[in-house]
Amino acid sequence: MRTGIKLALAAAASAVFFVVIPAWAHHAFAAEFDVNRPIKLRGTVTKMDWINPHSWIHVDVKGPDGQVVNWMIEGGSPNVLLRLGFTKEALPGGSEIVIDGYQAKDGSNRGVGKVVRFADGRKLFLGSSAPGAKGESDK
Amino acid sequence: MTRLCLAAGFGLLALVPVYGQAPAKVASAGNKDWSMPRTLEGHPDLQGFWTNASVTPLERPKELGAKEFYTPEEAAEHDRHELVDRTSWDRLGSQAPVHYDMSQYGLDVSLVKVAFTRRTSLIVGPEGRIPPLTGEARKRRADQAAQRRGHEFDSAQDRPLQERCIVWSNEGPPMTPAAYNSNLQIVQGGGFVAIMQEMIHDTRLIPIGAQPHPASDIRQWLGDPRGHWEGDTLVVDTTNFTNRTNLFGSTENLHVVERFTMVDADTILYEFTMDDPATWTKPWTAQLPLTRIEGPIFEYACHEGNLGMPNTLSGARAAEEAAKKGAK
Repeated sequence: MRTGIKLALAAAASAVFFVVIPAWAHHAFAAEFDVNRPIKLRGTVTKMDWINPHSWIHVDVKGPDGQVVNWMIEGGSPNVLLRLGFTKEALPGGSEIVIDGYQAKDGSNRGVGKVVRFADGRKLFLGSSAPGAKGESDK
Repeated sequence: MTRLCLAAGFGLLALVPVYGQAPAKVASAGNKDWSMPRTLEGHPDLQGFWTNASVTPLERPKELGAKEFYTPEEAAEHDRHELVDRTSWDRLGSQAPVHYDMSQYGLDVSLVKVAFTRRTSLIVGPEGRIPPLTGEARKRRADQAAQRRGHEFDSAQDRPLQERCIVWSNEGPPMTPAAYNSNLQIVQGGGFVAIMQEMIHDTRLIPIGAQPHPASDIRQWLGDPRGHWEGDTLVVDTTNFTNRTNLFGSTENLHVVERFTMVDADTILYEFTMDDPATWTKPWTAQLPLTRIEGPIFEYACHEGNLGMPNTLSGARAAEEAAKKGAK
């Protein structure tokens, strides 16, 4: 695997079925991202693209060898984020964040952020007041 | 706006749901002090911002048989279960855990205002399900699947319309709940009713009057809508779909009739009937409420930064390369 990047890989644990484009997603997740390449990244935000259909967070990730690699991490719909109270100013450049997600299938430095947290553990976007009724990320 | 548009899962339960009901029961629904707001032309004023976010399935779960409505107690329990006990992750089954943390990204239905109904399914009647496909439709579906097999990722044109940001299946007609940003705006005036859907930014401009549909060689992604008033109900008749507008398996000859009836200050009862003899053995009708929300709706410029398409195609090319290397 890629060196210089904190990239944790785990074996495929479960069968995943993608028969149709799910109505809730813009795209076919399995076609774009690789469930067999989970990533855990810690880095500093360089910018956030506030674009449809998905927001993208750009983050500099420094590897054990000191080499810095810029990653692009897909986030949710800007419209939804705005309604959650998350604004363009909510994620300033230089913020340290931790991303759990999956890498792009083509092996590039792109991924989808399943859970994104600030360095102190607070979830990005919702923070400590997350209204998710049951804290699904802990399942 | 956040305060009104969004409600935390448990907080939402404190709201008093307005349950859409069968038309015969509508007269008694809502506030007795309420009177129909009207435009200068004297028609019901449907203008404003609305949501059709729902926890009610389109088709009735088979175990409910012919039971069309929950009792108020059952409905409250059902809605609580759908909003709190059973999150979007559960509803999505095996697909869910690999994608976002739904609650973090605001994609869980517990995070938004929901248009409640006592119906057990949006489709009305004793069956509560889309009628069986005709033999012709089953063959068509099998042929299309066979043609597509192995070519799903050849080019952008082989990807679904939704992924290409052309149309989303929720836009209407018929308007059905979207998974997120399930919001719309209605504007009336000058002989038209305009309906703008947040997903994915299309506006349906519906002429009101007696003009006929255009000739059959004029085809549109969302069909050609013609509206008229039947009493206080807005009726929109849509035909002239394209042969690639596939709604629940429909063909270009799909005929949709929608009915909008305001039943209280914050609720429009929305009903649609789908008829396509080449697809279903009989027409079918669904009914769902639209609930008023505070605006605005936001632009959803679906294709402005659509990296999904290049990522999907480059992923497919990488997979092909890997397969070639593996074969050597």
